[in-house]
Amino acid sequence: MQAHEREAKSSAALPPVPVFVARGLSKFYGSGDSQVTALKNVDLDIQQGEFIVLLGPSGSGKSTLLNILGGLDAPTSGSAKWRDHQLTGASDDELTTYRREHVGFVFQFYNLIPSLNVEENVRLVAQIASDPMDPREALELVGLSHRARHFPSQLSGGEQQRVAVARAIVKRPDILLCDEPTGALDVDTGRLVLAAIAKVNAQLGTTTIVITHNSAIAGMADRVLRLSGGRIVKEEPNPNRIAAEDVQW
Amino acid sequence: MVNVLDVKVLRDLWSMRLQVLSIAMLVAAGVAVFVMSVSNYRALVGAMESHYRNERFADLFAGMTRAPLVIADRLREIDGIGIVETRVAKPVRVIRQDTNMPISGRIISLPAKGQPLLNRLHLVQGRWPDPLHPQEVIINAAYAEARAVRMGESIDVVLNGRLQGFRVVGSALSPEFVFATRSAVPLPDDRNFVVLWAAENAVASAFDMKGAFNDVAMTLAPKASIAPVLDKVDRLLAPYGGTGAYDRGDQPSHRFLEDELAEQETLSIFMPCVFFGIAAFLLNVVIGRMVEAQRGQIASLKALGFANGTIALHYFKLVTAIALLGSAVGLALGWWLGIGVVGSYRAFFRFPSLEAQFEPWLLVAATLVSVVAANLAAVTSVYRIAVLPPAEAMRPATPPALQTFAWLQTVGSRLIPLQYIIAARTTLGRPIRTLLSTIGIALAIPLILFGLYWFDAIDYMIDVSFSRVERGDAFLTFTEPVSTDALYELRSLPGVLNAELQRVVPVRLRAGYRTYRTSAIGLDPGSELRIPRDKALQPVSIPADGIMLSRQIASQLDLHVGDTVSIEVLEGTRVVREVIVRRISNDILGSSVTMDRSALNRLMKEGPVANVAALRIDPAQSELVWSRIKSMPKIEGSSVKALWLALFNETIGGMVLIGALILAGFGMLIAIGVVYNSARIALQERAWELAGLRIIGLTRHEVFAVVVSELVAELVVAIPLGILIGRYLIELIASARASQSFQIPAVINPSSYVLASLLVIAAAFASFMMIRRRIDTLDLVAVLKTRD
Repeated sequence: MQAHEREAKSSAALPPVPVFVARGLSKFYGSGDSQVTALKNVDLDIQQGEFIVLLGPSGSGKSTLLNILGGLDAPTSGSAKWRDHQLTGASDDELTTYRREHVGFVFQFYNLIPSLNVEENVRLVAQIASDPMDPREALELVGLSHRARHFPSQLSGGEQQRVAVARAIVKRPDILLCDEPTGALDVDTGRLVLAAIAKVNAQLGTTTIVITHNSAIAGMADRVLRLSGGRIVKEEPNPNRIAAEDVQW
Repeated sequence: MVNVLDVKVLRDLWSMRLQVLSIAMLVAAGVAVFVMSVSNYRALVGAMESHYRNERFADLFAGMTRAPLVIADRLREIDGIGIVETRVAKPVRVIRQDTNMPISGRIISLPAKGQPLLNRLHLVQGRWPDPLHPQEVIINAAYAEARAVRMGESIDVVLNGRLQGFRVVGSALSPEFVFATRSAVPLPDDRNFVVLWAAENAVASAFDMKGAFNDVAMTLAPKASIAPVLDKVDRLLAPYGGTGAYDRGDQPSHRFLEDELAEQETLSIFMPCVFFGIAAFLLNVVIGRMVEAQRGQIASLKALGFANGTIALHYFKLVTAIALLGSAVGLALGWWLGIGVVGSYRAFFRFPSLEAQFEPWLLVAATLVSVVAANLAAVTSVYRIAVLPPAEAMRPATPPALQTFAWLQTVGSRLIPLQYIIAARTTLGRPIRTLLSTIGIALAIPLILFGLYWFDAIDYMIDVSFSRVERGDAFLTFTEPVSTDALYELRSLPGVLNAELQRVVPVRLRAGYRTYRTSAIGLDPGSELRIPRDKALQPVSIPADGIMLSRQIASQLDLHVGDTVSIEVLEGTRVVREVIVRRISNDILGSSVTMDRSALNRLMKEGPVANVAALRIDPAQSELVWSRIKSMPKIEGSSVKALWLALFNETIGGMVLIGALILAGFGMLIAIGVVYNSARIALQERAWELAGLRIIGLTRHEVFAVVVSELVAELVVAIPLGILIGRYLIELIASARASQSFQIPAVINPSSYVLASLLVIAAAFASFMMIRRRIDTLDLVAVLKTRD
């Protein structure tokens, strides 16, 4: 796990310092007979600028892991740390600050604010960030500057998801977390979204973690982690990253 | 097997329990006020009717100087007259050792053999007088209670100038004296007015009335019309000094009772109906939104193949369960409060039996209104969602054309933090919903004002009647007209700061076919102890000739300034004269005719005499003043303003204020229910959006600001709107009673507006706390999992 991928283009120039360090992460829901295990004793290191894809069937613990790393959920046991931020045992306010300053999220269902237009949705995050980029620049990055004045209800699903990406990156996040970003999209639109995510990872050096059911997307990653039953069952470095346009499914 | 949808009803009820409770509370408040008030009012009317029926309250009354008993037979011969009961009734004065205050009274003869045919007595205590002991009397229960008179106690009465001792053997209620009032005093004063019923021969011999009578009570034969009968009675009694026959409408106790019932009707029927109507409307709004928030579920049920009818039935069950829960609580609460409030009536309305009555139709009606109002909203909302294709309904409602708010897009969003833009667009983008929810909050204010208003109206009535119009501290009535010398005598008493004479005579006004019996008050020009006022409370000068009418009489007789009215003095020579209405005054308690005293004297063809004196008394020396007055021979009775006021507060005040407090309390409950629900549903509808904001890094406080700024915006509009609606509704209700002789002024103090607003703000604040708590505990992960 300590071995890192010299071949990976984006991380080649970066020193091999893990930004995420998780040890013995476990998450249980419920108790007694009805207890459900979501994560079981997971150890994980992620390097600065890495593009990670989490693969696995439903209930394998992907979202739980992502949510813990994003400061949305707390593990039942174990520890998780991002740089010097302890994510386990942090208060709600500390986690809010962590998300606000460092994390960008993209979800399957876009989660845009219906009463704000495209530019405003992006600016909402810029407004609370310490060193944001210009919202128009973020929209440019996802190829949507021409839609700035439209409201989410006037956009297609792919466009909405790209707005979500723009919103996630406008604050120049250190981490970009995407939970099934193409889950609700067709192939062509999905590619556009993936391209936007890859671009951010490449140009801004943002550490990126993407959850997907779709193993084809794994080709874009520096490293693929396969989860099953709450454990990381397989870890596959990917020396030959492909571009989003070449993803087939 | 249990229907799964029914299981969903129960689960939904449980999972929304706080919301269910707050809606049920709204229903309960409406139902309780309605049931309590309407049934209490009906209890009062029922008690009056049964008292009148059981004790055979007469329909017609007439007084005269002295008529031989044979005239009774002539009365019986008049077509349209049923039973005739003659008697001797005279003013008397009662002396008590424990007070210097003159106590006036009325003694009425009882037939030799038991109960009279009409105006029978309902014995409360003691027994019927023994015919062999003519000194035994029954007194009215109100006085017996007020003065704590024990049975067997002796009572000293001045009859026809001679002191005579009687023994009280019983106390009774009479339909003639439900309220024992005298013409010069606007309110019943039970401590200083007593009614005595004594054997005929005792009364007749004291007043030299053997074989004669001076008072008669009659019933009207079925289908007879009143006016011609009164005319015939008047003509028959005129030679015997008849003072004009009158019906129940002019009988002092009945008139006062009717006015009181009219006031109660406003408080008990009109307001609660409006109150209940508003509650039903709010229920409609709240339920509508609650169902709308289940849009996704309705769409899913449709997608699964459930028919619209099945889905509607499902929500019918849910909503009916809530309405029934509220109604049940409301009925129980209304019942319980009703018993308490009727208890408080008993001190004021002296009926033999006054029991809270709960008529089944009222319970059914109240329940039905709540169930129907709730379901109307539910069905409308379900239908609106059900007509959409399920796929469309499963998506959240499409935000309206937000781009129309161009100003928010260009200027606004650069200057205003985006949280507030979200709030502004959500509020403005759904104008109908925002309007309904704003009106909902606004309507909480009139509900609270309905209660607070009575405090203001009563304060105003007291202030106007007792500090601006009636400015004397006490009134004395004389046994017979006195000359101006009496004024000097009164003014010379140590402790008397000012004294003025008034001439008060019973009169009957006649304008076309309308008549009105009242008192004419003759005042000296520049009178300071009684200052008639207009609507703006400015003093109205006493016309040198002609008369001044109170607004109530003017409207009852349809008279205006400059009109001519016939005035008939019901005393002495019974002069009838045409006079011109010169001014209209704004009396609030009681309604009278005011004239220049010398003009009234001229009308009466008498010298410059008076029969009432108004006094201002130095409070430190009042005992001294009363002890001197007690020894003055011609004083018939007295009344003291401070005592009326105390009485007023105890009785009318106490009674009305209990009702008002209940209204205000329920108004507040409804305010909390509405604001809480608005907030709760706003939160429920947007949990997903708000969680999204939290995830992208907005703090709890920033997310709270989004929701709260929407509610604050609604509140800012709702409060002035509510004040306007409240004012309008109260004016409407007050003017609905304007034709009655008794009018409750539509006066609302600014402090009541402030209080009502503060209470709504407090309710909002409590809801904000609840929202804050929910935002703090928002489960971000769980919200993201359910895209609903």
